[in-house]
Amino acid sequence: MSSILFIALPLLFGFATPILSKFGKNGVAYTSMIMQLFLLALAVSLLTTTSSYVEIISIAPPLGISFVLNSASLFFVLLFTLLMTLFSLYYLIHRKTDAYKDETKFFILLNMLLAAAIGLVLSSDIFNIYVFFEIAGISAYILSAYKKTSSALEAGLKYLLTGAVASVFLVFAIALIYINIGSLNLAVIAHSFEALPYNIKLLISILLLIGFGFKVEIFPLNFWVTDVYQGSSSLVNALFSGIVVKAYLFVFFHILYLFLPNGDFTVFLVYLGAISMLVAEIVGLRQTNLKRLFAYSSLGQVALIFTAFAMQNKDAIQAALFIVFSHSVAKFIIFLVLSAIEKEHKSIHIDTLKALNSSFLRAIMLIAMLSLLGIPLFAGFIGKFLALKSFAVEGLFVVLAIIIIGSLIEAVYYFKLAGFMFAKGEKREPLKIALAQKTLFGLLAFSLILIGIAPITISGFLLDASSVMLDGKSYVSMLVGG
Amino acid sequence: MFEFFNQPEVIKTIVTLGSMLLFFVGLFGLLTRKHIIKIFISIAIMETSIFLLFIGLTFKTDFIAPILDKIHLDVSTMNDPIPHAMILTAIVIGMAVLALGVSFAIEYFKLTGKTDIDEMSEMRH
Repeated sequence: MSSILFIALPLLFGFATPILSKFGKNGVAYTSMIMQLFLLALAVSLLTTTSSYVEIISIAPPLGISFVLNSASLFFVLLFTLLMTLFSLYYLIHRKTDAYKDETKFFILLNMLLAAAIGLVLSSDIFNIYVFFEIAGISAYILSAYKKTSSALEAGLKYLLTGAVASVFLVFAIALIYINIGSLNLAVIAHSFEALPYNIKLLISILLLIGFGFKVEIFPLNFWVTDVYQGSSSLVNALFSGIVVKAYLFVFFHILYLFLPNGDFTVFLVYLGAISMLVAEIVGLRQTNLKRLFAYSSLGQVALIFTAFAMQNKDAIQAALFIVFSHSVAKFIIFLVLSAIEKEHKSIHIDTLKALNSSFLRAIMLIAMLSLLGIPLFAGFIGKFLALKSFAVEGLFVVLAIIIIGSLIEAVYYFKLAGFMFAKGEKREPLKIALAQKTLFGLLAFSLILIGIAPITISGFLLDASSVMLDGKSYVSMLVGG
Repeated sequence: MFEFFNQPEVIKTIVTLGSMLLFFVGLFGLLTRKHIIKIFISIAIMETSIFLLFIGLTFKTDFIAPILDKIHLDVSTMNDPIPHAMILTAIVIGMAVLALGVSFAIEYFKLTGKTDIDEMSEMRH
């Protein structure tokens, strides 16, 4: 039953805060920290299991709760707990100088976000997925508007509007599924989805694509993303691009592989992803606000992950998982550095990089950007290389060309940024950051380099995860038998 | 004359057409209105139409409410309770999201005096 703890403990923490806050301000902060460290330890300890299916929890139909923890979901659970723990560690030091108002609520929201992201990944009941979809959404809206400045509120409003529309389409799809199949369990639905009439199948697929399309930031439905990133504080942006969008990406493709194992829409989705990437990189080229610029870069990378996942074959999914890791870590570093810069310089314009006076932060930013770019010896390279290889193997040379053009455009603005960082000119006072924060950045950057040099450390696990994710048949037989 | 309307096929047709009409009313409002509160109302209309469709299509006229007590023990004559439970949950969630949205809109209005979605352009500076 250990995998239920990943969802139950963070939610329980929310209910326990009135008691915890009696112990003063630090009571809540440290309890949250300890709980997240415990969850991280739990996730790491589950790595020792040798079988692909680590744990299946099924409570009989009246309650209809079932969670599946296999290698694929374990990868995401590990990533989310790791990033959230590091975020809390960073924030524990950050709050000494620049704390959020009403911190108790902030910690509740962080843990709700963690619980919902893990719930999305583990749940194998489509209505539970809807509930976690909304919990993750609501906590993200509030985090986005948390500072209550006019731009933060505008970002929160835009996020909420698109999220509410997305959830309408998702409920529509779930209603149609239940009317036609009579079950909410993903395995049962997957079992009988193929036999549905073509029109119903098409309608459900389109509704699911629209519903999740808003959340996985795919081209015509991603107009809101950059405004949200620009309006929210850099700290929570690290969570949005590190955790939230990755959870939605996983659950979307998890459902897609289960419902359409023959890949009926593969070509359409692959081109959709490739075009999203190209559009994001072209528009990103002209941005002068750093948060907005990195939001476009996030859109581009997420679209690349989307394209690789949409290929629906084992090698491409492994590549996608590599990019999920390298992108989450790199964007995490970048947004946390941006928050340090924003605090010091009170501006997030691209020119602030010229005045940035901290060789450590510059080096860390450079490592993260080179990894995003896919330069050899950094983690981003492995993912991008494997993805390009799988496009070439499948003979999708147009997609290959679009991705390469997109990456070249990305290279233009990253090198522009690097040029700004190392430009000679007036420097400010040296930017001081705490030793613990330096260690944290160092560890993250080291992991990027380590995996870039020796991808073998995680490639076996990721290959297992990708084959489990693709294998709908054994998922169904594990849950319903036969 | 109303027996005609009691046939399951007729009821399902009316429910489907009606709720789809409502859905497109909501969608039309979402795409054409500019006032933020009106947009929220449009989303609420769209949500409600889905709820109506779902309940309408899974509800069976000659079946009783799914409540177990001393008299009604035969489950086979009861309506399926799962859609009801699901829709209740969805209504609560939708309500919470709308309330949150309206509270953001009020805070935003207090700060800037704007209600028009096209005028929301804090990001352009």
